[in-house]
Amino acid sequence: MSAMKWFLSFLKKYRGHMILGLILTIAISVLSTVNPYISGLIVDQVIRKGEVSKLMPLIGCLLGTTIIIGIIRFFYQVVFETASQGVLYDMRDKVYRKLLEEDFSFYNKKRTGDLMSRQTGDMDAIRHFVAYVIYSICQNALMLVFALFMIFTVNVKLALCMLVVLPFTAMCTIKQSKEVHPAFQRNRNCFSSLNTLVQENVSGNRVVKAFAKEEYEISKFEKENDKFYDAQVSASRIWMQYVPIFEVLSYVLTIILICYGGYMVIQGEITLGQLVTVNGYLWMLNVPLRMAGWLVNDTINFVTSVDKIYHTYKEEPEVKQPVSGVVKKQLQGEIEFKNVSYRADDEDIVTDIDFKVEPGQTVGIIGSTGAGKSTIMNLLCRFYDTTEGDVLVDGINVKDMDLYRLRDNIGIAMQDVFLFSDTIEGNIAYGRPESTFEDVKKAAIMADANHFIMGLPEKYDTIVGERGVGLSGGQKQRISLARALLKNPSILILDDTTSAVDMETESYIQEQLKHLPKNSTKFVIAYRISSIKDADMILVMDHGRIIERGTHEELVAAHGYYANAFHHQYGEIPEEIKRGGK
Amino acid sequence: MARNRYDVDEVLEDSFDLGQLKRLASYIKPYGAKMAAIIILMLTSSALTMVVPIFIRNVMDDSIPQKDMKAICIYGFLTLLIALYAAFALRMKIKTMSVIGQSIIHDIRTDIFSHLQELPFSYYDDRPHGKIQVRVVNYVNSISDLLSNGIVNTFTDLCNLIFILMFMFYLDVKLTLVCICGLPVLAVVIFVIKKKHRRAWQIQSNKQSNLNAYIAESINGIRVTQAFVRERENTGIFNQLSNKYRKSWMTAVKYNFAMGPSVDIISMVTTSLIYILGVRWILAPNAELTVGVLIAFTSYIGRFWAPINTLAGFYNSLLTAISYLERIFETIDEEVEVKDAPGASVMPTVTGDVEFDDVTFGYEPGHTILDHISFQVKAGDTYAIVGPTGAGKTTVVNLISRFYDVNSGVIRIDGIDISKVTLKSLRSQMGIMMQDSFIFSGTIMDNIRYGNMSATDEEVVNAAKTVCAHDFIMEMEHGYQTEVNERGSRLSAGQRQLISFARALLADPKILILDEATSSIDTETELVLQQGLARLLKGRTSFIIAHRLSTIKSSDCIMYVDHGNIEEKGNHEELMATKGEYYKLYMSQYEFLNVG
Repeated sequence: MSAMKWFLSFLKKYRGHMILGLILTIAISVLSTVNPYISGLIVDQVIRKGEVSKLMPLIGCLLGTTIIIGIIRFFYQVVFETASQGVLYDMRDKVYRKLLEEDFSFYNKKRTGDLMSRQTGDMDAIRHFVAYVIYSICQNALMLVFALFMIFTVNVKLALCMLVVLPFTAMCTIKQSKEVHPAFQRNRNCFSSLNTLVQENVSGNRVVKAFAKEEYEISKFEKENDKFYDAQVSASRIWMQYVPIFEVLSYVLTIILICYGGYMVIQGEITLGQLVTVNGYLWMLNVPLRMAGWLVNDTINFVTSVDKIYHTYKEEPEVKQPVSGVVKKQLQGEIEFKNVSYRADDEDIVTDIDFKVEPGQTVGIIGSTGAGKSTIMNLLCRFYDTTEGDVLVDGINVKDMDLYRLRDNIGIAMQDVFLFSDTIEGNIAYGRPESTFEDVKKAAIMADANHFIMGLPEKYDTIVGERGVGLSGGQKQRISLARALLKNPSILILDDTTSAVDMETESYIQEQLKHLPKNSTKFVIAYRISSIKDADMILVMDHGRIIERGTHEELVAAHGYYANAFHHQYGEIPEEIKRGGK
Repeated sequence: MARNRYDVDEVLEDSFDLGQLKRLASYIKPYGAKMAAIIILMLTSSALTMVVPIFIRNVMDDSIPQKDMKAICIYGFLTLLIALYAAFALRMKIKTMSVIGQSIIHDIRTDIFSHLQELPFSYYDDRPHGKIQVRVVNYVNSISDLLSNGIVNTFTDLCNLIFILMFMFYLDVKLTLVCICGLPVLAVVIFVIKKKHRRAWQIQSNKQSNLNAYIAESINGIRVTQAFVRERENTGIFNQLSNKYRKSWMTAVKYNFAMGPSVDIISMVTTSLIYILGVRWILAPNAELTVGVLIAFTSYIGRFWAPINTLAGFYNSLLTAISYLERIFETIDEEVEVKDAPGASVMPTVTGDVEFDDVTFGYEPGHTILDHISFQVKAGDTYAIVGPTGAGKTTVVNLISRFYDVNSGVIRIDGIDISKVTLKSLRSQMGIMMQDSFIFSGTIMDNIRYGNMSATDEEVVNAAKTVCAHDFIMEMEHGYQTEVNERGSRLSAGQRQLISFARALLADPKILILDEATSSIDTETELVLQQGLARLLKGRTSFIIAHRLSTIKSSDCIMYVDHGNIEEKGNHEELMATKGEYYKLYMSQYEFLNVG
């Protein structure tokens, strides 16, 4: 499907609006001829001939027509605007849904500012086109055809002579379209870049300030701002060449009328009266010619934007909902990785991952930074699809499962905590918007978040900024944990969730996790041995592979990576502990 | 002010319109002369084009009956000249006005962006980022049409109006007075709907801002949304916002659409009045008005109202633009809380003595975070700050960099009050690594180099090596040239921390602040990192906030902060000996060994 076809599929729904709008446009054009006619009557019959009695009825007609025209004019503009807002609404919806469907690989490559430009600036070009350009084109085309037809009825030779300008007009239109297209493309790209730059500057404002890089940011911005300026100005340099040509062409018609028309009258081929009639229709040819350049601009701008939006829209996610996925409301939580490997951009992220977990078990994952721990969890949630091997949940390949049901059964507290600019209650209830306040509070208590939340000025109604600014790292982690717990999931994933909380809080949380209402299968990714020590199975990862596995005791005894980490972290165990312990 | 959400409109007092226009005028002023030249050009062009109908009349009335082909050709030729002049004027107008319009937009945008750089954290924390962005990018764009076409057209129309008015007065004073009595009526109509009209566009700009904020957040939070299967709810919320935007647009635009017909109707009423009164005056016993004058006059009424119609259109776009302009100017006027004191000096090269002298601070009035805190740090020492989450550890280090100003007390670096020196000279001598490691879109090389723009590639690589980031960077397909983006692409949280660590080191700061800098880094990497750091920290004062106590054990001094106070202070051995809060915290690490 081409971008244009895609656009038309949206416009189709508003066919009725468009047709009604066009009919009203024509009605207006016809009605506009009424008032000059009545004015003529007033001048001729009332003023010249003194038939005063006719004055009031004529004025009544004059006012009546004006009011009718006013109402129709208001109405048809509303009709077109409604259609355009409707198209936009539908298109925004479609694009938004698609954005929600796109997988992590898509977002790894796209800049936020670019994606936003599609939903804002580009949409605006479409609004303008549907609300204004379409009917302008029709109106002007109608005018042109009507006037030409009328002139033809007067005199074919004169009409043909006037037709001479049409090939020139067509040629200019085509040339302008071709030249202005890349200019508009550049415009859109510059707009995107500017958007991205501002967006990142705003999001990264803390880093900018911390490094006192304000001046650098401004100079970076200036560069984009200049580029945007250049793009706009150089685009105007193109239509600057064409718009005046159309202006001249419109005058050429007048010149033809004066010279050739005058010649024909002198030669007796037409009468003076006929020439006057043609002159009356001339403005109907002039206006469309003058508008041509601008309409070409608007149209190409629109085409460029539709292309841009469609280009983003048509990108298909690799991770897709299976056609008839297995719908399992409640998962047991049995998980098996069968020789799973995942590659991205020619880079092995994880290789030969093979393990099995029984429902209700706890798996600890530890390993160096970037070893692929989070990736394993992303494969389980099917944020990425495995390159080789299978991930089975309850014995079913995740690729064959209903994607949303799968994810709905998993509660994940991500390493990179993202909170929405919403109340704390809204953030905790993110996965279960329908849950009661009691449930939210219960989850917060389990995550040891209730205490600090109650200490905030507006408690659970406190709005946290985007990314949870204003909260400390540990507080954010606990909110994100509460969010995962509230789902009461069959599979619970804690990805480095307690790294920024103190030991006491962590042991409290661990105690809570043992008494979850559901016997969830748990994955705990951590760097602190204390976080995973009690796990039924500990996987030690390095460079995308599992290098050790076993329980805490087994691994300590094995004197490998895990034992090393253990000794580094707790090397010199204080005497009191040793005495008091074991 | 409470924080703002995506679905909450931002409040704005109704301010006087002229204020915004005056502001805009100050941006236009530098281009005044050029614009005046274009207006004159356009006026001459429109005056000349008015001659063409006269040519046509002459040809029909005189040349054709006289069969004067030569005269006809001359008229044709003159028309061609006028056409060329009109085309030339149009070309100049497009050329000049697009430059001027875009320059003004460029200037406004630079001002708002530069000002944003000075605004404190709280400004960014208080509202969704999408709402800030929409002001810099979309709102500024929305006034472009007003600038590049509106102003020149308005002036041209105004001049035309004055010409026609003068001509009408010359024809007949009384009839002209009747004609312009339509203007006050129009003014009343505009005035009556103005408040609602303006409000409608304000609401529209708010809805646009809300929608934008939600889109931005949806994209940035996509991972959470997918993990929590919130697609359906979010689509619902999005469509609600989208629908509100559509409705607000339709409401606002209807006011605009009402303007044209209103002008038409008022003009037709005055025209009717002129016919009625004109006819009566002609028939009056001692009539001054002649039939010829009345007929001539009626043909000018249309020309009088045509520019008014386009002016009404200009008024529409002006009202729209004002609803954007007031937002833009509001941001530019936003007060900078933390700024250079008048006559602030440049911070000399820092040695690294830091002193808190009776410092009290709270983010919001009545909510004290730090309560009369005093401590001193010797240059070159490593200071650790521990305590429960939310106790104010981050606040302490935020105050050192002067991200906030203290409520009372003084913070001194090398004995100099930090509120007396320029922010730039202060912050550029500090390296701060925050809990959130922000990655800009660009290459990894660029991201590290952000700490010191003049660093060579080699220096960047060395910094990466020091923080143990070199190995994983080299394993990526394009090494240091690998493109990453804000959401971090495939980088793990630990890897992002290492990159921002390298960034902080490259700045070669005299004071280094590590706020949970290594929370997502594995023990082995951290160990190697610490060895490298020990070397690096020499000669630098450093503040470390960490929950992993192994990270801070060797610090020169450890402060235990809770309830806004320093509860305990001393090195590891000393604090262990006192068996206080730190001791408890330390021992809690081993509790799990007993449990097992």
